[in-house]
Amino acid sequence: MPEFSLIIVLVIALALIFDFTNGFHDTANAMATPIATGAMKPKVAVGVAAVLNLVGAFLSTEVARTVSGGIIQEGDGGVLITPEIIFAGLIGAIVWNLVTWLLGLPSSSSHALFGGLIGATVIGVGSQAVDYNVVAAKVILPALIAPLIAGVVALVATRLAYVITRRDIGKPDGRGGFRYAQIFSSSLVALAHGTNDAQKTMGVITLTLIAGGFQAVGSGPTFWVIAACALAIAVGTYTGGWRIIRTMGTGLTEIKPAQGFAAESSTAATILASSHFGLALSTTQVASGSVIGSGLGRRGSTIRWGMAGRIGLGWVMTLPASAIMGAFAAGLALLGPIGILLDMVIGTIVIMALFRWSRRNRVTHNTLLNDIDDAGRVVHIKKTPRRPTRRDRRKVSL
Amino acid sequence: MIGWSAFLIVSAASLFSAALIVSLYALGLRLLTTAGRIPMVEPHEFTGAITVLTPKKAAKQLKRARKAVAANPLTPGLKLVALYAGYTCFVLCSIAVLYGVYLIVPALHL
Repeated sequence: MPEFSLIIVLVIALALIFDFTNGFHDTANAMATPIATGAMKPKVAVGVAAVLNLVGAFLSTEVARTVSGGIIQEGDGGVLITPEIIFAGLIGAIVWNLVTWLLGLPSSSSHALFGGLIGATVIGVGSQAVDYNVVAAKVILPALIAPLIAGVVALVATRLAYVITRRDIGKPDGRGGFRYAQIFSSSLVALAHGTNDAQKTMGVITLTLIAGGFQAVGSGPTFWVIAACALAIAVGTYTGGWRIIRTMGTGLTEIKPAQGFAAESSTAATILASSHFGLALSTTQVASGSVIGSGLGRRGSTIRWGMAGRIGLGWVMTLPASAIMGAFAAGLALLGPIGILLDMVIGTIVIMALFRWSRRNRVTHNTLLNDIDDAGRVVHIKKTPRRPTRRDRRKVSL
Repeated sequence: MIGWSAFLIVSAASLFSAALIVSLYALGLRLLTTAGRIPMVEPHEFTGAITVLTPKKAAKQLKRARKAVAANPLTPGLKLVALYAGYTCFVLCSIAVLYGVYLIVPALHL
């Protein structure tokens, strides 16, 4: 039985922190559209998503067994990843996740994780340890295709929803009824997310435990790992990345209930189909593609392509940026215990600085509410404003 | 190396299932509306994405909706048929969604 070394404890802690950031980064995928159309109250929506992520994490551990499979050549023929490299990769992934959250960009958490691990491996082991063909086939190509598929599907679904419910102008079309459906479709997305994303962290922790000799090679995640990861992602989801929810819900296009339902159904269908046929697509990219597609599908809606471009740029940057940060962290970690300590100190300072910065303009669930609505209410309570008297005028001038 | 056929299958499958679910639900709504049971679902909270109606405008819409319901050309029997057809659509739609849940949970199909 090997010693329980500090580095393994650190890796597990960091993996759970990454899981937490993954949770609040991806709340928007499922819940941005129902919040935007008012199908659910913001707090209720993130609560539902958190519970479904928790449940989803327990439902399936298939993905955990095959995480990072192939990208970094481990095992008999290739190089064994050390806990130090995983540690450095996780730091890169967490920092990039926080940066994109601060910018309100929905970016793929799994790309950040892969990027961080790739960067750390290149520095720690050498660039021959990374299989670039697999990176292209499993990460880059799906990233280009995922939003395209989801966008086309959402466009068709939105068109159908509008054509079927179309009535003469002035007659009620009952499209508000799509709000009920949105509750279910977004819940399906949240459940699918839980079965996919908590798995990645479980896989990383299990990989570390196997590398440290605590578990037999090829064994699945143990119960406490599953429970810890499920809890971390659920808490992260409940925290709600309101910045990203704002971007997805109101930043790309104006979403109406029919569009929201079409977009969520497309997201759920695409994710389920892809995981069923063994093709890993990023939930974030699918969801963003769906929102844009539903915007294209409704007549008279506009899409803010500037915002879409920023999100696309964020996606392109995710892999290299987190790779560079992972590589930097790995460079330090290779110095030995001092390097790891240095990594932790720098990482903590960076994370603290990012949180400090986020305090400057806080975005909470209240930020999403319509200020026109409040103004409207105020105006309608006071129907006919009194004409200012002489005393009022004097008060203003004082 | 790159599984193009996998991409094609995934696109076709997701297009089919999303279109099916959305069409069924939309058809259900359409039939309910035809039957005179117009679903009026108010948003829980007004986010920046929602165009807010003034109470005056909202009342006007409601009045117009009532008028449209009153002027329904269908006989009571046909209305009932439309209503139950609408409910059938919702049931079919929820079956499709439950199939999605079935696909998510590996314990159910292993």
